[in-house]
Amino acid sequence: MSGTERIVIEGIGVVGGFGCGISDLSRALNGSVAPPGTLNVSTGSGPIEIPAFRADTSPLKEFVPARTLRRIDHFSRLALLGGNLALADAGLAETEHHRLGVIIASGYGASGATYAFLRSFINDGDICASPTYFANSVHNSAAAHISIQLGSMGPNLTVTHFHLSVPSALATARLWLAEERVQRVLFGAVDELSDLIGYIRYRTRDAAPDAPMTPLRTEMETSIPAEGAAFLLLTRESAARGGYCALDASTTGSLPISGHPIPEPGLLVLGADGCRESGRRYAAVAQNSRIACYTPLYGSMPAGPAFDVAAGALILKGGRVFPSPGDAFRDFPATVPVGGEPVGTDRISCLTLAGDGAYGLTTLGNFPGTTGECAKEERIAAGVSRMDPE
Amino acid sequence: MSVAPIPITGMGCICAAGRNLSDSMEALLRGERHPAPPVRFASDHPVPHPVFEAVDFEEPPDLLRTSAFALHAAREAVADAGLDRKILGSLRVGVCVGTTVGAVISEETFCRGYLAGGVPDMAPIHRILRSNPADVIARAFDLSGPRQTVVTACSSGTDAVGIAGSWIRAGLCDAAIAGGADELGRITYNGFISLMITDDSPCKPFDKHRKGLNLGEGAAMLVLASERVLRRRGTRARSFLLGYGSAGDAYHLTAPRPDGAGLRSAISEALATSGVSSASVAFVNAHGTGTPDNDRVESRVLHDMLPGIPFLSTKGYTGHTLGAAGAIEAVFTAACLEMGKIPANAGFETPDPEIGINPVMEATTVSGTVALSESLAFGGNNSVVALGKA
Amino acid sequence: MTTVEKLKEILVKDLNLEELTPGDIDENAPLFGEGLGLDSLDAVELVVIVQKHFGIDIQNMDEAKTAFQSIHALASYIEGRLSSG
Repeated sequence: MSGTERIVIEGIGVVGGFGCGISDLSRALNGSVAPPGTLNVSTGSGPIEIPAFRADTSPLKEFVPARTLRRIDHFSRLALLGGNLALADAGLAETEHHRLGVIIASGYGASGATYAFLRSFINDGDICASPTYFANSVHNSAAAHISIQLGSMGPNLTVTHFHLSVPSALATARLWLAEERVQRVLFGAVDELSDLIGYIRYRTRDAAPDAPMTPLRTEMETSIPAEGAAFLLLTRESAARGGYCALDASTTGSLPISGHPIPEPGLLVLGADGCRESGRRYAAVAQNSRIACYTPLYGSMPAGPAFDVAAGALILKGGRVFPSPGDAFRDFPATVPVGGEPVGTDRISCLTLAGDGAYGLTTLGNFPGTTGECAKEERIAAGVSRMDPE
Repeated sequence: MSVAPIPITGMGCICAAGRNLSDSMEALLRGERHPAPPVRFASDHPVPHPVFEAVDFEEPPDLLRTSAFALHAAREAVADAGLDRKILGSLRVGVCVGTTVGAVISEETFCRGYLAGGVPDMAPIHRILRSNPADVIARAFDLSGPRQTVVTACSSGTDAVGIAGSWIRAGLCDAAIAGGADELGRITYNGFISLMITDDSPCKPFDKHRKGLNLGEGAAMLVLASERVLRRRGTRARSFLLGYGSAGDAYHLTAPRPDGAGLRSAISEALATSGVSSASVAFVNAHGTGTPDNDRVESRVLHDMLPGIPFLSTKGYTGHTLGAAGAIEAVFTAACLEMGKIPANAGFETPDPEIGINPVMEATTVSGTVALSESLAFGGNNSVVALGKA
Repeated sequence: MTTVEKLKEILVKDLNLEELTPGDIDENAPLFGEGLGLDSLDAVELVVIVQKHFGIDIQNMDEAKTAFQSIHALASYIEGRLSSG
């Protein structure tokens, strides 16, 4: 088929503060919100605990033997778990793993390993720098571990560009598929909340420690730092066996001085994550649009936009909008649909704003054969192996 | 499967061999190199390992050195292409930069302060947060097109160029500034020494007595443009990006796959997308780091896939510049095609019977119109670009 | 504690051999390939471990080859280096 084939989100794998897997994310989106955990941060006047969305990777042992995980750090474990969940969700057989494209987007990168590497020579001298921590601190280590575990020898990419990481990397995923370099791309956004990143977040924000995130209250700092992984199995239309929706576009660029880059966005899912400096910009761009915002369910991290895409995919598949958490959006100059309302459009746009007027926009569309339960039955009938989601 | 060639209208480069591309090429063709112990930083390794520093270059205090390199090379490339900020502002121009150090959110002084239980000054972190090299270039030239920072370790520069080519072919932008940048520092210095893959004497790519790599620093940028822009502006191409291939080894975090399967696949894809046969390749700019493993694996693949084709590593002149390497080597390759001449493989004296083939040992005339530049990275990434003479 | 016992403890901890205890490790079994199944990255980590815990530097991997045959071989190597000052 030609390069004008659409791209389907065939499987989704997520892990974060809300739990693990599509069913936990759906529960959170439907209103069953888990409160954040905590992260210990050393300050000049002793350790404190800050609210943080932590992700638990213990379910990874269902996919990867413990022995193999010996040298694999939290960042790569998050990635391995997200990736394996997405493949299982899509029901992709192991025999099809060998020629996947693998693309990872991360804002913080392998920060835990980076910090551990620095500690190794700060504490014990340059000659005691740890090669294992160094090897794992290279940002493409997660993509490497995934392709090694899957035996996949397709093209491999890692993108680190703060909040533009996800839309930027998704654009490349779409290009690889349009160029037919591969039939499927396993795309994942991963961020790890290491001690060091937690401390940097603590120093650069002045959030009220016990307040829940209210991103649509734009005059306040309410971001809660987070970690997690959100993976999508992206497949050319002709090879897809069901899924959630189409991934129709992903762009990055600079906002024009006047107007905004979103012609007919349909439903606009905002990546506003409680950071005061960006809140006002989101309000300006989203004015008069129909919006939703789900970041309070997974927290503030550069990988967040991938969770927004997952939420958008679930909305299109089910046909109904999830409630935007909290009710602190009365002053936000846009329409916020009530939970359960019909989505009322066949297009959802996920918007992320970064510094200097840069933006990322990912557009999802309805795709025949992926909405509703009939897609799931097709996959089961096809007899492909898949993990029982419940 | 072959794709449209993309014109390269401008190039810029800074490295230990020279502050700009023509100075660097002159040094290469003279066979001149200056490896030396690091000057800008100290370490407590008993034997200092030689590095290739761009000693005369000082970055401004508000920018990471990596980003300052990137901007310096971008300025040269943009001027070389006959462009300026005003013209770039009238086009949709993307920026795609490969880096390793430029994407790390960490800094030694800050970490030391944090580890000591103090309250370290946030200035180094703020500098990192505003120094993403792609953002720095986009700001400097007021670019509105797609942005991406590629962090595929030692293949980042090659990948950035290949990806930017895809953007232009897909119509995502009219032109792009693409390349790579990286700086020398204690983190990578300690890291590579800890892996025991560095040489404590000047590196000897492909030589029987090679012991490892020497690190380097610098940047290179290419201005890629669509044919339409070229015609509209009446400018000429200096070279063409004919094709690009990349594939993973799925083998090990730091060691290359012994059978070179990923590299073979990447070379095949680069040739197929260029629509050229292996026999018509004039020369290969090899990755050639000087490590026992890399040179052994790479030369085996070159012997099998490109028999009799002259090859050389330019890392004997620049050191291994990590995220910048693929871009620096791409501009060297294009410049060599223009000049019809390739430099000698610096550092090579004694043939290695295990390798069985020798790189070029003196500056050599070449008359073909196509050349390859290849990069092999940690995590098993293999990337190759094919460049064509204008 | 003997050097062998000390090494077993250090290896379990520093190489993150979570599912093993020092008692599980056969000091005469190969460290690389079979036996403990360590690889080239573990080998360079082991060089740093030896430096950090015993103050002994190993200059290159040829030197390490014989020393790294087994924990017993490594212990002998370390003791030999320590006693020669």
